Amino acid sequence: MIYAFIGLLLGVLLGVILPVTYPAAFTLYISVAILASLDSVFGGLRANLENKFNTEIFVTGFFSNAILAAFLAYIGDKLGVPLYYAAIFAFGSRLFQNFAIIRRHLINRIHTH
Amino acid sequence: MNKFYRNMMIVTIFAAASLLVTLQFKSVGPDYSFITVKTMSDLQNAVKNEEEEILQLRSLIEIQEQKLRSYEDAIANEGSIQEVLIKDIEELKVYNGFYDLEGPGVMVLLSDSDRELYENEDPNNVIVHDLDVLRIMNDLKIAGAEALSINGQRVLNNSEIQCAGATITINQFTYAQPFVIKAIGNSDLLNAAIKAPSAYAWELKEIYGLRVESHVSERVRIPRYSGLRNLQYISAKDGE
Repeated sequence: MIYAFIGLLLGVLLGVILPVTYPAAFTLYISVAILASLDSVFGGLRANLENKFNTEIFVTGFFSNAILAAFLAYIGDKLGVPLYYAAIFAFGSRLFQNFAIIRRHLINRIHTH
Repeated sequence: MNKFYRNMMIVTIFAAASLLVTLQFKSVGPDYSFITVKTMSDLQNAVKNEEEEILQLRSLIEIQEQKLRSYEDAIANEGSIQEVLIKDIEELKVYNGFYDLEGPGVMVLLSDSDRELYENEDPNNVIVHDLDVLRIMNDLKIAGAEALSINGQRVLNNSEIQCAGATITINQFTYAQPFVIKAIGNSDLLNAAIKAPSAYAWELKEIYGLRVESHVSERVRIPRYSGLRNLQYISAKDGE
């Protein structure tokens, strides 16, 4: 958990300090990729609570999900079909699912202690 | 070692996720929004139109300032602007057909074609219409005509050109063909407006075979407006 917080702080600091900006046209891809990575992060938290955490799965899931989501958004843009809705829907619903499971685990922990 | 590797991985992943989020926060401010290429070009056109309008308004301001300066000069030199105003009135009278006018320009003669119709050809093709006269007049205005007349009727801002069968009614006088359009202005330009290839009058002549003649003259005479002037609905508005 501590490492996760260190990573979060590091990323926010880097983001604030680095003078990186990308064209407004990319924001769609980036936002879909963010959703994918948030999904991975929540999934990692959940797996951690269930003691099933596996670094490889976590890492590969993080990158492949983000890349696939951005790729879907890109393809959809080219085809004129808003395919990124698929990514938003899938990741969004999984996000809520994961969060619900995390909540249950936490409540169970409080009750058992 | 494996533990260390794992922790580093978690740190990296979380750092990457929050880095992405922060960057997105920075990019998606109120200054950024999704727009399509079409809205972009629409906006660009709108901006261009506005800029053009601004330029036009600027030139309008300049004209008005010049006028103001002439008034001020008159006050400074002669103590009153009476003379300038009288000159303005004279100019307006010239514009509005109170005087007989003379100056260089062209005379355009328009009349029906005397060629034989083709089989099944619409006879309208060889007749001069009111619209032909209107378009030729507009061409002459584009070429800088300062005053126009049709068959001796001074054309003012409210002069109608009405189709009346084979005749045309102008200033409520009806005339049959041939129609003589007189225009005062730069005679070369006016002549070109009639004779230039692909000008409307040229098309009438070369394609439909109507009789279109234009004569350049140093002394084109345009008579004063002979109709009635009675305004019933207009009232001048002060203070603007």
